[in-house]
Amino acid sequence: MAGNAGREGNTPSLSDLTRVHLTNLDKVIFPALHITKQEVITYYIKMAPRMLPFLHNRPLTMHRYPGGVGGEDFYEKDAPQGTPAYVDIFTRFAKTADREVHFILCNNLDTLIWLANLASLELHVTLSTTVAYDSPDLLLFDIDPEPPLSFDDVIDVARSVHERLEDAGIQSYVKTSGKKGLHVAVPLSAGYRFEEIRAFAHQMGKSIARNTPSVVAEFPHSRDPGTIFIDYLQNAHGKTMAAPYSLRATDGATVSAPLSWDQLKHGFRPENFNIRTMLSGSEDPWRGIFDTRQTIRR
Amino acid sequence: MKTHGGASLTPGRQSGDKTAHRSPQGRAKKIVAGVPGPEPVLPTGISGEQVTKKDQPKTLVIPEHPPDEPAQKGNAGRPFWSGSITIGLVNVPVRLHTMVRDRSFSFRLLHREDGQPLRYDRVCTKDGRVIPWADTVKGYEVRKGEYVVFEPDELKAVMPESDRKIRIEKFVYYLSLDPTYFETPYILVPDRSEEAYSLLVTALQDLGRAAVGTITLRTKEYPVVVHVYGGGLVLTTLRHADEVTSPHAFEQLTSLPVPKGSELMLAKRIINELSGDFSLTDYPDRYQEAVMRLIEKKLAGEKIVHEEPHPEEAKELMQALEETIATLAGK
Repeated sequence: MAGNAGREGNTPSLSDLTRVHLTNLDKVIFPALHITKQEVITYYIKMAPRMLPFLHNRPLTMHRYPGGVGGEDFYEKDAPQGTPAYVDIFTRFAKTADREVHFILCNNLDTLIWLANLASLELHVTLSTTVAYDSPDLLLFDIDPEPPLSFDDVIDVARSVHERLEDAGIQSYVKTSGKKGLHVAVPLSAGYRFEEIRAFAHQMGKSIARNTPSVVAEFPHSRDPGTIFIDYLQNAHGKTMAAPYSLRATDGATVSAPLSWDQLKHGFRPENFNIRTMLSGSEDPWRGIFDTRQTIRR
Repeated sequence: MKTHGGASLTPGRQSGDKTAHRSPQGRAKKIVAGVPGPEPVLPTGISGEQVTKKDQPKTLVIPEHPPDEPAQKGNAGRPFWSGSITIGLVNVPVRLHTMVRDRSFSFRLLHREDGQPLRYDRVCTKDGRVIPWADTVKGYEVRKGEYVVFEPDELKAVMPESDRKIRIEKFVYYLSLDPTYFETPYILVPDRSEEAYSLLVTALQDLGRAAVGTITLRTKEYPVVVHVYGGGLVLTTLRHADEVTSPHAFEQLTSLPVPKGSELMLAKRIINELSGDFSLTDYPDRYQEAVMRLIEKKLAGEKIVHEEPHPEEAKELMQALEETIATLAGK
């Protein structure tokens, strides 16, 4: 066989495959499950084909856990010193920070690997892209329960949001937050302002709250025990949500998992979607989400 | 793949040093002392013989227990103290065995150049001379630079006399003792006094009580508590009251606000949700384990690789990377 040279070509080294200089791969990131950084990076590599289209041109907020879950953690919006050249940057004046922020855009695989290597376990994204940063392309209902309500109660509320949207001819997408709640998202056509979609979400919340005693539509009641808050306030400039397929810093290494509405039945447990159970082989329920951009009543 | 030879724990062992493989002798010296010297210094418990044999990797393991402490169950080694538990006129002869073993290890300081261990000397701060033990006395600093001086005999005179007795003064509910005061536990083993010992164990257990009293160990008298644990008696020395800071020393803690009813309800609910059993075996000492693995690797002559993964270890990552690159390229 004229094999040797060819065979060596088939076993490339890590540096042939990625420009990212990987470090501390044995660092334990999820101590409860003894999951190392290597497993975290491998997870994001596997999820990249689903994540990258969604993340494209969407300013990121990193939530970093350099010491692993349970250790020190911090949010980072600004590209840190030493950010490599393959990472795209979007510079913008941020009102919240009162200065120019150099946002990271995860526009390629190496950037995603680089983020994972920084132990940025959680990736949070804005509801608009750099194409029209001031105009949202997603409407978000962030549905969160207060104990002792169960996840079944959250499912009921998410379903009524879904049904009401459907009645209005609007298609919506659902994912777990990766923690206690559910996110319902509507992809929007161009030109909306954040105030408009915030008002729409607020109206919807108020309407559901009128018929469902456990649902609250106003922020001051959002932490009342035994209630579910339909958070419309996330629909604002610079606010973020956990990206689809982002890991969450929980003991169980849960994932903010996109779902089909059929999957969302009583007895569903969000913790079943975690770093070890997310299968890249199955269909992506959010696939083609931006092919269904819609209009809502202003 | 790049490897970084610089992670060496033994300074002086540089990559490219070929003497390491020249002879078994040279290799042993290399690993432990850095450069071939007249006397290879070996860690306790490892003979030069073992280190030199290349094809005996499994023998190169650091002993799991300090050499002076047998590891086997059932034979817990020599007693640390023997005497008797005294309750009024009743004596129960017992032997005291150590119960906790500090697994943390210490490194020795070596001279980087020749790899030889360093020692500490008693150096006079005035003239810089090394002073032999015989020429030392003990001093208690009363004011800066001013000492009350003691000859060894003077201190001996006031040392508490060890009368080989654990004097029990009272019986208390064990749960009424706060662990803040607990210092070191010891196992009490009957010294040909099984019957009396067993009687004490059973009686304490039935009543849920522990015995408190005093013991004199070496030069110090300690308050102690004796309680039933795992079917035997355990003696724990206690700290003296003035060795523990009271939380009342902090002003904020004396005037804490009263929590709101609803918040308290929520907090309690969270606590109840997170309630569970606690097992210390869930908390291994990962640093200790990692360093022990490093030591074993060094002894086996392996280069310590850091930063970049072993090809074998990163296999799954590499495979995922190749697949994802192919998927993205196909789009």
